[in-house]
Amino acid sequence: MIIVDQLTGVLLVLVSAIIMSIGVYGFTASRNLFRQLLSIEVLFNGVFLLVITLLSASPLVTVYYSIVVISVVSVEAIVVTAILVAFLRAYRTHSSTDLEESEV
Amino acid sequence: MFAPIEMPLFVGVMAVAAAIAAYYVIKLKDMIYASISLALLGSLTAALIALAGFPIVAAYLVLVYVGAAVMFLIITISMLGLRGSEERDTFRGIIAAAAVFTLVIAIAFSSKLYNFYVLPYSVSAQQAASRLLSRYLLVLALIFVGQATTIVEAISIARRGGRS
Repeated sequence: MIIVDQLTGVLLVLVSAIIMSIGVYGFTASRNLFRQLLSIEVLFNGVFLLVITLLSASPLVTVYYSIVVISVVSVEAIVVTAILVAFLRAYRTHSSTDLEESEV
Repeated sequence: MFAPIEMPLFVGVMAVAAAIAAYYVIKLKDMIYASISLALLGSLTAALIALAGFPIVAAYLVLVYVGAAVMFLIITISMLGLRGSEERDTFRGIIAAAAVFTLVIAIAFSSKLYNFYVLPYSVSAQQAASRLLSRYLLVLALIFVGQATTIVEAISIARRGGRS
């Protein structure tokens, strides 16, 4: 039965690493600010899954930690979306290359 | 407490589905479909977390993250109607992704991090809520303030759009 736990742990770590690398790929490859935001959210899903796997020995701490982290990440996603909408309205573009060139 | 024998099979199926959903977030050209894939990825992550033994966390993830934040993203992107060509530097992306994947796998398997996973004992909602209210009240208040601020911000953006 310990082998079943280990196999589950290996699968969870592996899928976390895959999701994290997909998120990093999207963030570094794309120049679209909204795509970069979506990639950061993908990265969050991978990291969160990995942390949950590693903290499973102390379930109560994991529950409290998760509630705080999910709340903060939700707020962050909405705030960044609002900033991007404001940027899109001001500069009529959603490319990070234009963000670097403009004197914001 | 040990996991049931079928557990790796369910986790494997959900893991493959989550990886495919994550791939489509990056791959799909239409941003609306990409953000819908993100919602799917969030739901599949919640399913994996529930299988790992944290149903309360999974429910909270679906309600707050997928139900509020990702839905806000989907609605914003669909209202803006983002379309058009997109610059991509694939080589740089592949190098960065390969580096991260190698690093995480090397750390996880060299220090046997997967051994940290054990099926946790079940935490009831009542137990979690009572300890949260008694020991972490300040943190809870901070969460409420943060989420209220987000609502105010979303309303102010909507009003600004209406005036212009």
